[in-house]
Amino acid sequence: MTMTHDVVERFEAQGHGAFVESYDPHDERMTINMGPVHPATHGVLRLLLVLDGESVIRCEPRIGYLHTGIEKECEDQNWRGAVTAVTRMDYLAQLHNEQVYSLAVEALLGIEVPPRGKHIRTMMAELNRLTSHLVWFGTQALDMGAMSGMFYGFRERELIVDFFEMITGLRMNNNYFLPGGVWEDLPDGWERPLSQILKIMPARIGEYEELLSENPVFIERTVGIGAITAELCDAFGATGPIARAAGVDWDLRRDAPYDSYADLTFNVPTTDSGDVYGRYLVRMAEMRESVKMIEQLVDSMPSGDFKNMDPKFMPPSRAELNRSMEAVIHHFKIVTQGYTVPAGETYRAVESPRGELGCYLVSDGGTSPYRCHVRDPSFVNLQSLPAMVEGGLIADLIASIASIDPVLGGVDR
Amino acid sequence: MSKFEPEWVTPDEWRNKAEALKNEGWLVTDVCGLDARDLGFEHRYESVVQLLHRDNRERRTVHVAATGEPPTCPSVVDLWPTVRFMEREAYDLVGIHFEGHDDLKRIMMPDEWEGHPLRKDYGVGKIAVEFIPQPFMQIDAPGQSTMQGESRARLDHLGQVVEEPAPAHDEPAERSEEQTR
Repeated sequence: MTMTHDVVERFEAQGHGAFVESYDPHDERMTINMGPVHPATHGVLRLLLVLDGESVIRCEPRIGYLHTGIEKECEDQNWRGAVTAVTRMDYLAQLHNEQVYSLAVEALLGIEVPPRGKHIRTMMAELNRLTSHLVWFGTQALDMGAMSGMFYGFRERELIVDFFEMITGLRMNNNYFLPGGVWEDLPDGWERPLSQILKIMPARIGEYEELLSENPVFIERTVGIGAITAELCDAFGATGPIARAAGVDWDLRRDAPYDSYADLTFNVPTTDSGDVYGRYLVRMAEMRESVKMIEQLVDSMPSGDFKNMDPKFMPPSRAELNRSMEAVIHHFKIVTQGYTVPAGETYRAVESPRGELGCYLVSDGGTSPYRCHVRDPSFVNLQSLPAMVEGGLIADLIASIASIDPVLGGVDR
Repeated sequence: MSKFEPEWVTPDEWRNKAEALKNEGWLVTDVCGLDARDLGFEHRYESVVQLLHRDNRERRTVHVAATGEPPTCPSVVDLWPTVRFMEREAYDLVGIHFEGHDDLKRIMMPDEWEGHPLRKDYGVGKIAVEFIPQPFMQIDAPGQSTMQGESRARLDHLGQVVEEPAPAHDEPAERSEEQTR
């Protein structure tokens, strides 16, 4: 607690939020590298730590070990093909990446998605939030020494990932959303596996809470650990469950609705503690809210087109290709050359499992994005890690990293 | 969604404007380096700042021109500490220098990297990617060879330089003389 206040005072007094401490080689401080390959850094995160015995004096994240140049890659793809690239950024929230990119392209094109397309997208995005939070649950429990949490989390995730395979053909990196709707309609019999998932999920979430919420070891390791205030969240740009656990009542699904979120009724869970346990409570409550949202979406699934069928930018359907030569020519043209998007720029944001996922998209009127910049929540949230861990113990650092839930594919892009 | 209307400011105006925006309660959500070579803007390099006002539920976009060589614009890291990583990213990938940023260094690319990959004149697919201490060449004109330097350092199995590379135009005559002896 004292440390976070110290950090606030420092950036207000010095005019910046630097985590700069003077380094004295004569006392018993030690500088060590944690990562880039370390089981508790969730990928290839490298932390430069200055330690005094067990306590962390200074922590500096060094990133870039998974930099794949996806933003540059997008500039070489056509507007449809760039979805394939952006889905690989934050690999645990792949559909959110596709969603924000598609929303940005739709804003530039000025087109609407039919209600069924919007509903399918929202439903898949909420299922994706469940899978992402289940991985977070598994890793958070594992890092706190509860190995069975990992098995439980992945057990349920597997069900949803299998459902993704049934709908999109792929378990991960689905490449399913596209500007104007979704790639393919829901197949026959999609309700049955989904209704089973929805039936068991609330009970399973209850099981997880039974495992951890009252567990004395877990409470000891999380309550009051890695706490940051709402002011610090705003200063460091932390969004999503981290900010909501600190009492920032802000959720883009409710406050700037996109796709079908305006039609849904749901709560935005918040806590005031701002610590690791608060983030645990927020994510658990979010999983329950997601289940409720998916139930509403399944009940109100409209019929009709699943994508905007405007022939200017959508290839003709497969059935049409068998009948019409013009359709084949049209298909060839759209697939090889792609469509053009009017010159302009836009910024759209969605609420990914980790916070505000934004896409700044510039078009010069050509057939591929001129600039596609993605504001990834893990990248920004990672900046608040030093404020969480400085002054604490190394063991608490592990808890804090797990509670930020960084995905290094998104951090480095 | 409200209509998307970006604003353009010059580097000199930006500090005052940023302070005014900060006092009004705007938060920065994103900073993006933009190489506007083919867009016909007044300045080629821009830092595009996305702002969010939570209470009014508004967003706005400010284009800050980066002028001079190297392209430079003032940093706002003291107002919004969240831009620390974002400005480093814009510096690394587009090469915009943020004046007043206290820790402006590469964030994605290796420290010894040369060139800024998201610039439009950065050669894509023409450069052999090798993580060795050899200086990295940037292609500006088509037809320019990547192998111009011909200064390959000899490395051991750990990637350390064993011996300094020979000068480009070594004296072959002397060497042959030695060999003949």
